[in-house]
Amino acid sequence: MLWAVLSIFALAAVAPVVVGVVHRLGGGGRAAGWILALLPAGLFAYFLRQAPAVAEGAIQQSMPWVPGLGVELAFYLDGLGLLFALLITGIGALIVAYAGGYLAGHDQLGRFYSQLLLFMGAMLGLVVADDLILFFVFFELTSLASYLLIGFYHGEEGSRVAARKALVVTGGGGLALLGGLLLLHQVTGTFQFSEMLAMVSSGGGHGESGNLVTSSPLYGWILALVCVGAFTKSAQFPFHFWLPAAMAGPTPVSAYLHSATMVKAGVFLLARLSPILGGTAAWAWTLVPVGAFTMVVSAWLGLRFRDLKQVLAYTTVMVLGLLVMLLGIGTPTAIEAMVTFTVVHALYKGALFMMAGNIDHEAGTRDVLELGGLRGKMPLTFAGGLLAALSMAGLPPFFGFIGKEVVYEAGLGAGASGYGVLAASVLANVALFAGALVVGVKPFFGERRAALTMEPHEAPPSMWLGPVVLGAGGLVLGGMPELVDTRVLVPASDAIQASHHSFHLKLWHGFNAALGLSLATFALGGALYYRWRTLHASRPMKRFAAALAAGPGRVFERGLYRGVRGSYHVTRLMQSGKLGVYLVVILGFIALLVGGAFVGRLELVAWPDGMASPRYYEVTLAVAIVAAAAVAVRARSRFVAILALSVAGYSIAMVYLFFGAPDLAMTQFAVETLTLVLLVLVLANLPRFSFEKASWKHARDGVVAGGVGAVVTLLMWSGLGRGLDRSVSRYLSENAYDLAKGHNIVNVILVDYRALDTLGEITVLTMAALGVYALMRLPPLDGESDRPEPPGAPEEAGGPGAASDGQRGSKAQLPQAAGPNR
Amino acid sequence: MRVLLVLPLAIPLATGVVALLLRRFRGAQRAVSVLGAAGLLAATVAVLTQGQVEGIVAAQMGGWAAPYGITLAADALSAGLLVATALVLLATMVYAVFGMDAERERFGFYPLTFLLVLGVNGAFITGDLFNLYVWFEVLLIASFVLLVLGNERLQLDGAIKYVGINLISSVAFLVALGLFYGQTGTLNMADAAGKVQAAGLSGTPMEAALVSLFIVAFGIKAGIFPLFFWLPASYHTPPAPVAAVFAGLLTKVGLYAMVRVFPLVFGAPTGYTQVVLLVAAGLTMIAGVLGALVERDVQRLLAFLVVTAMGYVLMGLAFYTELGLTGTVFYMVQDVVVKGTLFLLAGLMQQATGARRLGQMGGLYLKRPFLALLFFTPFFSLAGFPPFPGFWGKLTLLQAGFQAGQGWLVAIALAVGLVTLLVVAQVFSVAFWRDGPAEKAETPAVPRATRWATTAPVAGLVALLLALGLWAQPLYDLSAQAAVGLMNPEAYIQAVLGS
Amino acid sequence: MEAILAVVIGVLFAASFYLLLRRNLLRFIVGLIILSNAANLVIFTMGRLTREHPPIIPSDGHVPPTPYANPLPQALILTAIVISFGLLAFALVLVYRNFQTTDTLDTERIRSAEPPEPLEARFGEEAVREQRLPA
Repeated sequence: MLWAVLSIFALAAVAPVVVGVVHRLGGGGRAAGWILALLPAGLFAYFLRQAPAVAEGAIQQSMPWVPGLGVELAFYLDGLGLLFALLITGIGALIVAYAGGYLAGHDQLGRFYSQLLLFMGAMLGLVVADDLILFFVFFELTSLASYLLIGFYHGEEGSRVAARKALVVTGGGGLALLGGLLLLHQVTGTFQFSEMLAMVSSGGGHGESGNLVTSSPLYGWILALVCVGAFTKSAQFPFHFWLPAAMAGPTPVSAYLHSATMVKAGVFLLARLSPILGGTAAWAWTLVPVGAFTMVVSAWLGLRFRDLKQVLAYTTVMVLGLLVMLLGIGTPTAIEAMVTFTVVHALYKGALFMMAGNIDHEAGTRDVLELGGLRGKMPLTFAGGLLAALSMAGLPPFFGFIGKEVVYEAGLGAGASGYGVLAASVLANVALFAGALVVGVKPFFGERRAALTMEPHEAPPSMWLGPVVLGAGGLVLGGMPELVDTRVLVPASDAIQASHHSFHLKLWHGFNAALGLSLATFALGGALYYRWRTLHASRPMKRFAAALAAGPGRVFERGLYRGVRGSYHVTRLMQSGKLGVYLVVILGFIALLVGGAFVGRLELVAWPDGMASPRYYEVTLAVAIVAAAAVAVRARSRFVAILALSVAGYSIAMVYLFFGAPDLAMTQFAVETLTLVLLVLVLANLPRFSFEKASWKHARDGVVAGGVGAVVTLLMWSGLGRGLDRSVSRYLSENAYDLAKGHNIVNVILVDYRALDTLGEITVLTMAALGVYALMRLPPLDGESDRPEPPGAPEEAGGPGAASDGQRGSKAQLPQAAGPNR
Repeated sequence: MRVLLVLPLAIPLATGVVALLLRRFRGAQRAVSVLGAAGLLAATVAVLTQGQVEGIVAAQMGGWAAPYGITLAADALSAGLLVATALVLLATMVYAVFGMDAERERFGFYPLTFLLVLGVNGAFITGDLFNLYVWFEVLLIASFVLLVLGNERLQLDGAIKYVGINLISSVAFLVALGLFYGQTGTLNMADAAGKVQAAGLSGTPMEAALVSLFIVAFGIKAGIFPLFFWLPASYHTPPAPVAAVFAGLLTKVGLYAMVRVFPLVFGAPTGYTQVVLLVAAGLTMIAGVLGALVERDVQRLLAFLVVTAMGYVLMGLAFYTELGLTGTVFYMVQDVVVKGTLFLLAGLMQQATGARRLGQMGGLYLKRPFLALLFFTPFFSLAGFPPFPGFWGKLTLLQAGFQAGQGWLVAIALAVGLVTLLVVAQVFSVAFWRDGPAEKAETPAVPRATRWATTAPVAGLVALLLALGLWAQPLYDLSAQAAVGLMNPEAYIQAVLGS
Repeated sequence: MEAILAVVIGVLFAASFYLLLRRNLLRFIVGLIILSNAANLVIFTMGRLTREHPPIIPSDGHVPPTPYANPLPQALILTAIVISFGLLAFALVLVYRNFQTTDTLDTERIRSAEPPEPLEARFGEEAVREQRLPA
């Protein structure tokens, strides 16, 4: 299975080359579609041949991937995976061929195929993955591919917005899912689905106390997070809005990703995990209401629209809701209905989307009200579309009829809550019936409208093949459900329930309640279709759509905007561009953080004992330093300030001298003098200290500064109270002569013991010199002259007076920047 | 083969000096630089492989046995970072040879970059706290000069904040060192581990205060909340290759220092410092991503995302579990390459459009399809999207978070991932998908050869990242090995101090 | 004496932090110089003080006569002094160079790398008016 998935990725990588070569041979690259479709077709055959083996038991393959994390390249092909794999490769082959016609001659066809095949590989990997992290990798890859494909018409803003919407919603859901999967791992200790399954079924199955996972305290979180992941991906209310928006992508994409496969990944996820997470009241009470609500609302929303693809999109959401609801019910009949309807839907919806694409492509519009009478012009498209629409409407003898019957039976067998489910199903199916006729019948009958901009004609073979094959498939399976039921559907339903429940699908069930409901559905649906033209534009319908179709999407977009706006204000506050603000925060943080360590333990800080008592000249020196610091702070004149600075510096040098550090004292003297010279030189070219008005900021800064000072003093007291282990220092001193041949221990340390430090020190000095040189000599590379108008000072922006005012610091004395004064 | 460990210092130093002497000869300077970077890569790979064979590699400088002299030591963490650094350096050098302006080359771009890497490598392999300070200063002054090289108005402006705030970090480091020495009497980290115990510091407020001071000193360099302001204030001002080196390396050095010093010297964090680190990790992620969400200058947007990544890296350290540290190391090492790639990519985007701001870019999807292809791996890796390397780091960190019972931080990390995804989608949408503004006349035409020569190193890094994402096990093993060593420092201590 | 020096250092820190927080970049530089002096004093003091006995081995001896001042902190400070001088000199020239370009020493006006743009300037007026994100 690894090779099956990898082969598609490999094909994705070479697809642009294939398209390029074919394109050069002529035909607008239409043939490329046929060539590329060979691989999925071959894989379809491959998976079909696996069916008998899978019916016996799941096929497993595994090899290590990131063993450190317990993540494996593990695959697990059971009935459920096989069902989806067949849909993905089968419909995939038709779509790949179809896209060759639909986008023939498009200059980005190669990229398109890469992205489409990337998606196909990811989707196939997703349904056959055993390892849940592997599953997640593919899950996210489908989101990424979907993002690219929705945005295919990237020149249009609508496409880009829709792509972003889909990525953020499904990506966000994916992150929730990741949280859920990690929690699941916390509980089970494994990422392999098959091992979890074994753990759960050996641990007493679905007893009263539940299994290992459902009885865990984390179960609520796991269920919630997994459901968010599944509901976003499968477009359940209120996350449904991205799916209709995703119709901005090319039609092959809508047909494949946003109807037949990707959007079912969420449903697949729930089905996959239902033996582990399902069977609880919480499961049912989450899935059934959400699914039922989504189903009913979106079925009716579909009637609001005139755009073929929008109608199809909403009915897709409806089916997704139905599938979720059936999974929530979880009875054998419900699961039977779920797997059956999955196939039913894939067949008819794929066909109808391709039909819609053909109409759009050949007639130039998708507006139902503008279309009509196409059956003569596009006979094959018409045939495929009509067959599919009748299946969608649930009419006998199509497969859709069987699907609907089983759904009703599931509702009937669901016990007390079944009436609600049943009512919802009928309500939704009535609308679905009408929608099917709107999409699949209306454009082909009636008058030909004059408004069409182009003369409609039949599509090329690559484009009618898909609708015809899938539409006919619905008819064939309707007549002969035994082709798939025990071979494919029963293993799939068994996989979902982790136990065996045999069933046979039949077209004719006799006169029973389900048939009655079907007949009622047809009658009501027919009436609805008859009234559709007035209904779709009626005021209640508009309000309904405004609230539930556009509403959540608008809330989402507004939310994004509000969020960004909020971030803007937060960032502006935080990253204000003012050094002073940054420093207040940083220095305040230092004081709080370091001081905070002592909160409640202040008794540990005390005047340290055991120190030599100070001598009077030392105290004088200390006072001098403090006084100099005070002067430096208070000084109005910059020269007084640097003078005070020097006094403090020289006094510190004296401290070094008194306490046995003559080398240090000499260096300090030298550096202090150099600093003084440098300061004087620079200061001569700079303006005076500006006078800062007294404000609360002074008090604030005083508090921060005083706090830091106090913290430092207390820290030192606390540290001085302990003894110092001088063993390292003693070793250095006592071996300075014997081993390093030096009398001055400090020098020995610098040039021998810690020579690496000195190397670094020299490097620093060299680079500082280089930096000063570059600062002064390199002309500004942005071509800005020195002294332009200062930014943000509009009053100085105009007038030459401002420039002359800016010249007050003379440019003499220091080496000048060589930059041209433009 | 102890001499091997000196090479990560000797090669950049020698290259830097030679390049400095040759700075009037552009061709020679370029050749020396590319060769030096390639040589450094080879040497660091050798250090890494030797470490895999022998365990921790240590070398006593000048033959003075620890703890008296200065010891160099490389464990899996150091070696991994050395290799990642050399990779980014090599790619940047190749890019710069074709994409750097002559003035900056003449005024020391190459020597300064190599001396910066000298400081970075020194910090990664030194076993001595004061020596760490010295290397910090080396890389700091090199970054100062590189930042202002060009004297553009924005550069000077950004440099004021960068220099101002980072000097405070240096002083905080010095004060922390003074206090630390005053308690333990040693500077050797391996030696200090025992001395902290012997001095009875463990669990005291003094220890918490010392750790806090180190958090400030390293945290400013690492760009964690609320100390990161200098980063988005300056990283967008130098040209892309300089920013790539900065973003790839500098913040990592700060965080590396935390990861190295805290477990080794102070052991498990006490309640106070752990809470501080956890909260700082969460806020760092949030603060960075909020800034990125509203920023339109590509390089500055990435600068905010540098901050976010630091939050992730800090998270694992704050958990202080083996899995958490594994995630931290993994994320840190891959992020060196990711960030280097991203900034070079931003440089290519600027080169192709002549614009820095998203709104003025556009049309790259059609104009530069190959660039569009390169976009995905580093950017989606940033968002923690699989199967890119960032995903594995994040996965490890999230799992560690659940294990450590810090679900709230995991929730923040996931949410931040979502916002990052939105940011990435915005960048792609506006810079690549949207049609560009009407063709500007003054957009300089870039010669085809330059275009490909600057794209090639980025493509190489992307290929590496992709390989790292698809086959994460080697780096994971390395990270796990480093994490085990960090949690149980006996081997490191023994390698440094001898038996 | 160490305790008294600790107080002096506290005052130096307070003074330097207060200066760092001023809007004038020159005051900021003065603050930085005081700060690095204070940090060196911390190392010196924490290495404990010994009066009048420099760590020097007499020409006829092999070990220094006790008591002698702790040489290790002295070596560290020597390195630190030189390094901080290099950094400060660079910072000073940077401030000067920036003044040449921008004609100001006021940190509140040094914002050209981080201009206070309104949202409209970032996202476009239309997008802000219509309350949506541009794409």
